[in-house]
Amino acid sequence: MPGTLSPPQTAGKTLPAEDVQTTVEPDRPWITIVWNDPINLMSYVTHVFMTVFGYPKSKAEKLMLDVHHRGRAVVSSGTRERMELDVNTLHGYGLWATLQKQD
Amino acid sequence: MRVTRRRGHARIQLESVESGLLATLLDDLDGALQTLPDDDPVRQRLFPSAYRSDDDAAAEFRALTEDSLRDNKAERLGECRAELPDGEGYIDLDDEAAQRWLTVLNDLRLAIGTRLDVTEDDDPAIDPSDPDAQLRAIYQWLTALQDSLVHTVMGH
Repeated sequence: MPGTLSPPQTAGKTLPAEDVQTTVEPDRPWITIVWNDPINLMSYVTHVFMTVFGYPKSKAEKLMLDVHHRGRAVVSSGTRERMELDVNTLHGYGLWATLQKQD
Repeated sequence: MRVTRRRGHARIQLESVESGLLATLLDDLDGALQTLPDDDPVRQRLFPSAYRSDDDAAAEFRALTEDSLRDNKAERLGECRAELPDGEGYIDLDDEAAQRWLTVLNDLRLAIGTRLDVTEDDDPAIDPSDPDAQLRAIYQWLTALQDSLVHTVMGH
């Protein structure tokens, strides 16, 4: 017997529980990546990560060093809409940012 | 040029020639924002693609965001231009204004650095026979100004 908190059934059918599990999207399927470039200063990039994401300085510096040494870093993850917002904000600050589905 | 912290404000102190230089650079960038063709590298760097391997999504994102991004850049730039001292003088910046200046200085460096095709391995010593020697000197000066302002804002 369904509990009182069961979602209302729509379109006259629901999937069996097992199938629902396999078709559910992961919680955080999109990521924002910042790419290395020869112009943006390390100090400025760290400052932007702290300002935009509210990251503590240690985390912002680690991300900045990842960008610098590895060529890129994942700086945030979430819904596609949220990542588009982050990318747009980072473009406003002049960082080279892209979004994509997480591998 | 000197950047100091005074009573919670960041102060940029400029020589007369530096104020004039910044005015010229800001006016040039303002013009470039409005007139650069789509395929210009400076324009592509100031308005990068949001998707690396999905041209349709990149075009859709650009259509939704580029105009307001350009308007924001132009507005910030105009505000900084209006704050420049006429000749030798200083600008006192609260946190919001300092943030705006950092971003505008970054846009200037992105535009000039892209034009100069700078790399991370560039020799900081400028070859005087380089036809871009003057622009390289300006770029290095902007870099020093931006770096000083970031560290002042971050409380170093």
